Parts: sequence; C-alpha cells; structure tokens
Amino acid sequence: MKNDDLLYVPMLERKWRPLSFLFFPLPVVIVIVLALLQVGLSPDNAAEIIYGSWAVGFTLLNLTKEKIEDEMVKTFRLQAFQTGFFWLMCGLVAIMVVNYLRFEDIRQEIFSAPLVLFLLNGYVFAAFEYQKWKASKEL
Amino acid sequence: MKNTVKVERAKKDMTQQDLADKIGVSRQTINSIEAGKYVPSTVLALKIGRVFQTPLELIFELEEGD
Repeated sequence: MKNDDLLYVPMLERKWRPLSFLFFPLPVVIVIVLALLQVGLSPDNAAEIIYGSWAVGFTLLNLTKEKIEDEMVKTFRLQAFQTGFFWLMCGLVAIMVVNYLRFEDIRQEIFSAPLVLFLLNGYVFAAFEYQKWKASKEL
Repeated sequence: MKNTVKVERAKKDMTQQDLADKIGVSRQTINSIEAGKYVPSTVLALKIGRVFQTPLELIFELEEGD
C-alpha cells in the first residue's frame, strides 16, 4: 500500500546519531565558558541555551533511523510520539496549575519554546527507548 | 492473540534470524511476535504464512479479549 506523500516523514541516516549526542554536553561547556569570560549571562538565559541544545539533540535522536526500520520499530515510534505528547500535556497542565495556585497568576511566562521542545522530545525519546527495552528482554 | 510461529519455525528448522531475514524484519521483532508482545500487521502475518506455507488461521488465533 502506498503512503500519502504529504504525510511522509523523512528519517535521518544512522550517522546523525553520534552527532546528536554532542548537543548534550555542548551547552554545559558553552555556559561554563561564558561564565568564566564573565559576559553577564543570566541564569534564565543559561537555562535557555541548555534547553535549546538538548531539544536539538533529542530531535535528532527521535528522527534518526534505527539499524533495522521494520514495522515494530515504526509502531513503537508512533506510540512514543503519542505517549510523549500526552506526558508533555500532563506536565504542562500540572505546572500551570501549581503556578496559578502559588502566584494566583494565569500568565505562563515560565514556558519557553526551547523548554517545551526539550520536554516533548525528551519524553518521546524516553517512551521509544522504554518500548525497545521491553521488547529486547528475552522470554 | 496467540500464535504458533515458534512451532512452525521449529518444524522448518529455522532460527529467529533466518525467519527475520526472509520477511525483512529484525530478529527482535520475531522474538516479540513469538512472545505475544507484538501483534504483526496483516502484511507481515501474510509474509509469515507464506514462509511456512500455512494458512494464517493455523498460525494466529484470537484470544478472549481480542
């Protein structure tokens, strides 16, 4: 059966996987160097740099092919995106409620795009790896 | 869903890797199917049936709750 081209998601080759792991230590090094250089980086901006880089790392990991891309892996990936989205919604709603109860303020300035992207991709990655781990356990 | 993939594989003296190679999936997928942890798609089930030259209803069987 032919899939709809509009819904096709291109996957990255395996060589991207090692590169994606660079994005996890990289922002920590950048923040430390900027702190040593005393450029006046605020803690909020430092956190945004870290969230943004980790979001890129997890995005690359989530969009990189497995060694064998068979239908079970594709099923796991679909479930991972659904579960990751669900966990993200639960987490964001919980933070919004806590924020409202603590500060009685409906403004949600605590959320930034890098933070949301990092959480979403982190949850998707965790859900995918969890399914692979469960499947890899012998009988 | 119950299945007799492991039995059929033994009859043909095939390893999980042999079957995986024939139908284009990973050995882990065959292991998960045999363990009942993963239910294959119709396409994959038909490929398995073709390898064993056995009707699908003799390999896969619905269980209570399916």
